[in-house]
Amino acid sequence: MEKATILFHLGPLGISSIVVTTWGIMFFLGLFCWLATRRLSTDPGPLQAMLEGSISAIDAAIRALLPHSTEKVLPFIATLWIYIVTANLTGLVPGLDSPTACLSVTAGLALLVFLSVHWFGIRSEGLIAYLRHYLSPSPILLPFHIISELTRTVALAVRLFGNMMSLEMAALLILLVAGLLVPVPLLMLHIIEALVQAYIFGMLALIYVAGAMQSRSKVNQEKERTDT
Amino acid sequence: MELDWTTFILEIVNFLVLVWILKHFLYRPVLGVIARRRAQIEESLSEARDSREQALALKDQFEGRLAGWETEKEAAHAALMEEIAAERQRLTVAVAKAMDEEREKRKAVEVRQQQEWLRAAAEQGVAQGQAFAARLLERLAGPELETSLFGLLLQELTQLPEQQRKELAAAAVPDEKIRILSAFPLAKPQRDELTAALKDLLGRELPAEFGEKTDLVAGFLITVGPWVMHANLRDELRFFEK
Repeated sequence: MEKATILFHLGPLGISSIVVTTWGIMFFLGLFCWLATRRLSTDPGPLQAMLEGSISAIDAAIRALLPHSTEKVLPFIATLWIYIVTANLTGLVPGLDSPTACLSVTAGLALLVFLSVHWFGIRSEGLIAYLRHYLSPSPILLPFHIISELTRTVALAVRLFGNMMSLEMAALLILLVAGLLVPVPLLMLHIIEALVQAYIFGMLALIYVAGAMQSRSKVNQEKERTDT
Repeated sequence: MELDWTTFILEIVNFLVLVWILKHFLYRPVLGVIARRRAQIEESLSEARDSREQALALKDQFEGRLAGWETEKEAAHAALMEEIAAERQRLTVAVAKAMDEEREKRKAVEVRQQQEWLRAAAEQGVAQGQAFAARLLERLAGPELETSLFGLLLQELTQLPEQQRKELAAAAVPDEKIRILSAFPLAKPQRDELTAALKDLLGRELPAEFGEKTDLVAGFLITVGPWVMHANLRDELRFFEK
């Protein structure tokens, strides 16, 4: 994938097309949500039922892993899912590129997941208790814990970037080689892949966050196991 | 595949802004309305539970009331049966008493009827006896009987008590005739003997008038002033009848 095109500059910052696309997605999502949630009632219409079903499904998925901290984690994880799905599907719009096909975007998201894991872990367990789990079951494993944290973050970024970039690249190549209608099945695969990748990214982020928030109980369980 | 730090940083900022936007314009309103609906459902369920509990309480209450009614009904039935038994006993006693009274009344009536019948029979017997005696005496009446009665009259006159003699003498009005009626004609000696007996009885001589009266059957009827001496069978039979 080529480097993102710089459309204009805001002072020293060069605003790329990816950033503009992201702003567009943000504007679209914000406007849609504002319009859709202006007149919510306890007797929902089709649009409200769709929104409630989506949010309830996300809430149920989070509650299955974090039954006591769902409200804390839901905005972050749900926004990951919604944004990545939207960003992945943006590539289907002619003239627009998926922001998630850019490594800067996926790296930023992965960094946010990395930071949020520690943020939620420290908020949930406390700083000392949270850091102590890196020393369990043995301090010798501390480097491996750190490597694991870094590699899984890199893996998050590269997995999403690689899949989306390769998908767009393959569609582009087939379009160039075969003709106008041949990439249609591939575009349908693009939709499925967009949903799957968003699900994987969000679910992994949720699992990492849940692991961090439940690390103290794990440590305690392991300690009890070793004592017995 | 190149990392653009500006895009990288702006994407982080953008994502955080998007989190804020969606939190305020999507999650909070939608979760709020879901919570409101759940609250309404819980409220409806709570009301339904309350209604069910109230219904069960009412059911228990009505069952208890029905049981109470059943007990009251049984008690009322028992009281009614006792009242009926008492009323039956009272009516039985009253009927027995009425029957006793009726029996006594009928007994008294029977006794009275019997007495009446006996009296009527006695009267009838007396009447028949009187009729029989009258008929017998009528057939027996004759001079011989007259003579016997004459002798009996003289004997009665001589044997009158002294008190009656004085009253008779006082009742005799001077110069008023003594009226002597007989069933059969008296002979001269008999008239003289009777006049002498009356003179001896009254203490003075009064004129006597003799007559005959056949319905006397036999015997005499002697009138001295207001005093009348019935010495005949007719008056004797009447006396016997009375």
